[in-house]
Amino acid sequence: MVDKPHLDEEALAELRDVMEDEFDVLIETYLSDSADRINTLHRALVAEDNEMFTKSIHSFKGSSINIGAPLLGELCLRAECAGRNGHLDEAGQVLDRIESEFRTVSDLFQRLLNA
Amino acid sequence: MDEPLTEQAPLTILIADDSDTDRLILGKLISRQGHQVVGAVDGQDAIEKFEQHQPHMVLLDVMMPRLDGMAAAREIKRLAGERLVPIIFLTSISDAKTLASCLESGGDDFMSKPYNRVILEAKVKAFNRMRLMHRTLSEQRDLISERNRQLLSEQQVAKRVFDNVAHSGCLDSPNLRYHASPLSLFNGDVLFACPRPAGGMHILIGDFTGHGLPAAIGAMPVAEIFYGMTSKGFGCGDVLREINQKLKRILPTGMFCCAVFIQADFHLNQLRVWNGGLPDAYLQRHSGERLVLPSSHLPLGVLSTERFAADVDVIRTEPGDALFVATDGLIEAEAPNGQMFGEERLVTALDDHRGSEAIFQSVLNAARVFAGDRELQDDFTVFCLEMVDEEALDQLPDRLLPSALTGPSDWQCDYELNDTTLGKFNPLPLLLHICMEVPGLRRRAGEVYTLLSELYTNGLEHGILKLPSAWKNSPEGFGQYYAERERRMAAIEGHHLRFSLSHRPSADGGCLTIRCRDSGEGFDYQHLMAKRPDDHQYAGRGIMLLRQLSTSLRFLGKGNEVEVVYDWQYG
Amino acid sequence: MPIQTRRSDDGRTLTIKIEGRFDFSTHQSFRDAYEHSDQGVVNYVVDMSDTTYLDSSALGMLLLLRDFAGGDSAQICIENCNGDVRRILSISNFEQLFAIR
Repeated sequence: MVDKPHLDEEALAELRDVMEDEFDVLIETYLSDSADRINTLHRALVAEDNEMFTKSIHSFKGSSINIGAPLLGELCLRAECAGRNGHLDEAGQVLDRIESEFRTVSDLFQRLLNA
Repeated sequence: MDEPLTEQAPLTILIADDSDTDRLILGKLISRQGHQVVGAVDGQDAIEKFEQHQPHMVLLDVMMPRLDGMAAAREIKRLAGERLVPIIFLTSISDAKTLASCLESGGDDFMSKPYNRVILEAKVKAFNRMRLMHRTLSEQRDLISERNRQLLSEQQVAKRVFDNVAHSGCLDSPNLRYHASPLSLFNGDVLFACPRPAGGMHILIGDFTGHGLPAAIGAMPVAEIFYGMTSKGFGCGDVLREINQKLKRILPTGMFCCAVFIQADFHLNQLRVWNGGLPDAYLQRHSGERLVLPSSHLPLGVLSTERFAADVDVIRTEPGDALFVATDGLIEAEAPNGQMFGEERLVTALDDHRGSEAIFQSVLNAARVFAGDRELQDDFTVFCLEMVDEEALDQLPDRLLPSALTGPSDWQCDYELNDTTLGKFNPLPLLLHICMEVPGLRRRAGEVYTLLSELYTNGLEHGILKLPSAWKNSPEGFGQYYAERERRMAAIEGHHLRFSLSHRPSADGGCLTIRCRDSGEGFDYQHLMAKRPDDHQYAGRGIMLLRQLSTSLRFLGKGNEVEVVYDWQYG
Repeated sequence: MPIQTRRSDDGRTLTIKIEGRFDFSTHQSFRDAYEHSDQGVVNYVVDMSDTTYLDSSALGMLLLLRDFAGGDSAQICIENCNGDVRRILSISNFEQLFAIR
């Protein structure tokens, strides 16, 4: 798991190719979307709403994989599994790591956008 | 919704995903392939957008707020009805159970994240091909079912037209039993029965080669000839020859009609049976004896008129004897195991049964039992005739009357043959034909023919050709007489022969008056009237026959004109 | 063919069958039918099942056959006559000369 990179350079290159001039919009959409999701995940933990947590983390996982952030996707998968099994405390611990990984990915994306 | 007809035409594709990021990527991938994208943010939105835009294909995320992908898929499939709208689930799920329930809800395939644009493009193309194929099949299926509906309704109409021509005749006579499917006409089977004016009936069981319209088309002229000629009094040989000639002319080579023709005479207790190409017919006698009547002729419509043979088996019968005929569909009826009913089972079913009802039921039961659970294939005709006392069928001729009574009964005509035509043309068939149009007179055809023939012979041979009857007193003279007749006929000049015919109806028949006047010198008829031929004289019977057959006979003028009056009654 | 002939297996019976009209036009072929048959024919059958009409010249021809077959000792049977044909035969008293069945 740890060997997964923050960003998948190859996937990103392809995305850039596909999205053309909308690549920047895509990254920005992902970043604001994900920030919203992290807020939702926190609310779900506080409310101990297992279903809301699982659904949100599932979507977060999907878009992270699609955008080319495999490590973040992997962490989301672990949190989703914990959530599905009802281990919300474990899910909470993983969420902390997700937040930190998201910050790293955000920095990397910002750099990419500014480049 | 406008339907793209080719694989290359752009499609409208609905993408439902609650993740803006994923929707953006997928939308871009799809629009780069040249298709139009409609986006939806959850399952409920997807259903609304589906109704609004009628997309050709739907890409659905599995987990979505408000309504998940599976519920949306079910609703979309329901809305699409018969149309194939492929649904591809977008998922990062990999457990088999969830994937299976995606397919159960109506999904056609999966696409996992991250999206691979090559695979996505291939899937969209593959599903579009499937969609187009499905649409083509649906259209063809609809077309076929519409055509089939049309065909069936056309067959119903054709059947009604046919029924008007081939009315049931006397198939409902108490001594006839038959089984035929309602649309057996389109299996090529025909079954006709018609009372003969002089009593008895004609029956034709036929099986045309082929199925459907081609098999049915020959039935119409056969019915017309059969009913037309039978009710005019023609015998089975004439009717068979005429049908054969007609079918030979109109049917393409390789198409023909296997048939059994029956002439039943209840007065003489006699059957005439002609079998051309149908399976063996059986006469199951009241005594238990069985007579097999195999096909001994080629089917109708095969041979030219010259080679066609209408000779029949003449069978003496007794009341209670039953004649059984079936088309080959009975023998070829299949059991569930593919085995055929066969002749042996048929003969077994006939065994130990007396009377047409018992025989008929026994055979049909055997066929049904043999076919087992399987619906009995209804493409055969089974017929059974029972010989009965003539009195038992008293009602038959009455039913013929309405149609038989339409025709000229009050008329007169003159017909004169002049000069060389006299030597070349025999007017008897024409004159007989005119007389036979009188309703009911057909059954006296033989007598009317003899009257006409004797008058004609007398006027021509004695009045005009001056051939002496006395020549015919020796066998050699007989030949000489006809040789001389031929010679003198060829040299006829300046003569004429005039027939004046008239007919008046009476309460129970009619009165036919025939006058024949020739341009000859006449003769001393007083002398002739007094004379009777002795039994061994070869000639001189003409006048005697005329006198015996007619109500009155008179010579007019100088003996060159003869008049006979013929009173006749229905009977 | 309006006239057909058939010999029985033992050669003793000749069946002459007349189709359609039996009148003067058939006289030659009718004569040929019995005159050209081989020796040994004892019985003659005239099959009228397909004979529609008959006139007085046909009666003459039947008498010719009778004389050919031995006159009063001739064994000739006329079969399967329709009603009209039978009536004309009977008007002419032919039952006395032929076996009519």
